[in-house]
Amino acid sequence: MKKETNVDLKEIKALIDLMQKNGLTAFELEKDGFRISLAKEAAYQSGMAYAAPAPAAAPAAAAPSGKEIASPMVGTFYSAASPEAPAFITVGQKVTPDTVVCIIEAMKVMNEIKAEVAGTITEIAAENGQPVQFGQALFRYK
Amino acid sequence: MIKRLLIANRGEIALRIIRACKELGIRSIAVYSEADVQSLHVQLADEAICIGAAPSSQSYLKIDRIISAAEIADADAIHPGYGFLAENAHFAEVCASCKIKFVGPSPEAIRLMGDKNMARQQAIKAGVPVTPGSDGIIETEGEALRVARKIGFPVMVKAVAGGGGRGMRVAHNEVTLVKGFHSARTEADKAFGNPAVYIEKFVQNPHHIEFQLIADSQGNVVHLGERDCSVQRRNQKIIEECPSPIMTDKLRKKMGEASVALAKAVNYENAGTIEFLVDDDGNFYFMEMNTRIQVEHPITEEVYGVDLVKQQLQIASGQPLSHHVLNAVPRHHSIECRINAEDPDNNFCPSPGTISLYYAPGGRGVRIDSHAYAGYPIPPNYDSMIAKLIVHASTREQAIARMRRALGEYMISGIKTTIPLQLEIMKNKDFIAGKYDTGFLERMLAEPGKPKK
Repeated sequence: MKKETNVDLKEIKALIDLMQKNGLTAFELEKDGFRISLAKEAAYQSGMAYAAPAPAAAPAAAAPSGKEIASPMVGTFYSAASPEAPAFITVGQKVTPDTVVCIIEAMKVMNEIKAEVAGTITEIAAENGQPVQFGQALFRYK
Repeated sequence: MIKRLLIANRGEIALRIIRACKELGIRSIAVYSEADVQSLHVQLADEAICIGAAPSSQSYLKIDRIISAAEIADADAIHPGYGFLAENAHFAEVCASCKIKFVGPSPEAIRLMGDKNMARQQAIKAGVPVTPGSDGIIETEGEALRVARKIGFPVMVKAVAGGGGRGMRVAHNEVTLVKGFHSARTEADKAFGNPAVYIEKFVQNPHHIEFQLIADSQGNVVHLGERDCSVQRRNQKIIEECPSPIMTDKLRKKMGEASVALAKAVNYENAGTIEFLVDDDGNFYFMEMNTRIQVEHPITEEVYGVDLVKQQLQIASGQPLSHHVLNAVPRHHSIECRINAEDPDNNFCPSPGTISLYYAPGGRGVRIDSHAYAGYPIPPNYDSMIAKLIVHASTREQAIARMRRALGEYMISGIKTTIPLQLEIMKNKDFIAGKYDTGFLERMLAEPGKPKK
């Protein structure tokens, strides 16, 4: 018997077909020092392109450190007033409730979003030029 | 063909629309409030965008957020479902100005038919019978008597600004008319700040019968028969059936033609429903028009073999009505029960909560349109309807037997539902005989030994 493990692609493909046919989502096989583990993505992972929360969780799903400044509207997030202008916020910056933290463009209107809280920004959670939905984390602060 | 559709709604109708999208290869975009994170329409849509907090006024009714969502998702059309913004002419206008196709009629048609008085005028112009009534406001008791004598008793004195059943008085003779005229005015003044009243013929024991219309953008309009929605509690429908047990071929032809005439007169496009009051003598009177898809559309689908929501999307994509819609004929019988999360033994108090066990009936001729599932937490912020149970069978008798069977199998634990009440109605001799009007359910509930109204 060969000491080397020959990864037989045909065998692996057969295993994958077996999984599909029987509707399995996970499969593990250990044999002769060879171990393979296959896992299938759950069927109903809808393509939530806008960082929507996971089904069983409340909107503030992620558990990273710090409190959140959440989006009060649906639109496109911009970190600066214009492409040439410097970003409103840098990490470590202190904000007061009236500090303008970003712009959200909705229906062709550029809305200046205020912090509404006082604290120090620990993370810029949204990406410049990307869509954001209501309640989505824009910044984290402490 | 529409490529990306945003569904501006929730619950079972959002699911219904997503299903039509999937079958037509249209990408579906759901919007949801924070209370609907675990809702099925969010899970099954291709994309989902949170648009606000739980209250409808902060989410599903927020035109700006819905349009923003459509923009960031690059939607080319919006389906408004029913309720919420479905009959909001301003919303339809905003969609148009943003070059997003509103799945429904034009803003003008929505506006016109949304005003009860204007709709009534349109009906008269189109030759559709309306309840005989005064031409305008009645200022004196002398006028009231003249109008009542002309249209014949019984009559109803109605507040122009009225609602919720207030500012209304039924009068069966001249004495009660004079009394009613004055008290309706007083009540209207107190409740709405406007004492103006008009007079309408009071239709005794009416049947609520509505006609389904479908029209394309090329002027083709057809009706797909009637639905009998007389089983109501406090003006809320809970059971509907197609065809109506009191319909005749002759009456259907007359009412159908009247409906199509009215739709054509207002250049109607897409799906719509015209509601009529029908008395025991077969006289029918225009009541109002709903310029949207209705909750009870499935019973028409079962009997006429048409997918109304798919048709809506196809019409909105500019396609003419298909051959099978233009030639659809009714076949067999269908009944729908609206399953509400309410306690029929406790004045129909809403029963939000988490569904612990959920087993839906199946088998031949049983259809469930529902967003419910075991473990689903029903939010308290929206209407209480959690499912529609629709049966289809060759005869009315068999449809009733099938509905009884299906209701008996339906297991929903963790909340109270109206299923026990609907089972009782399926066993009621008047319902079985097809002899019921809009007063039927209230009478049944008022019988001694029955649950409270």
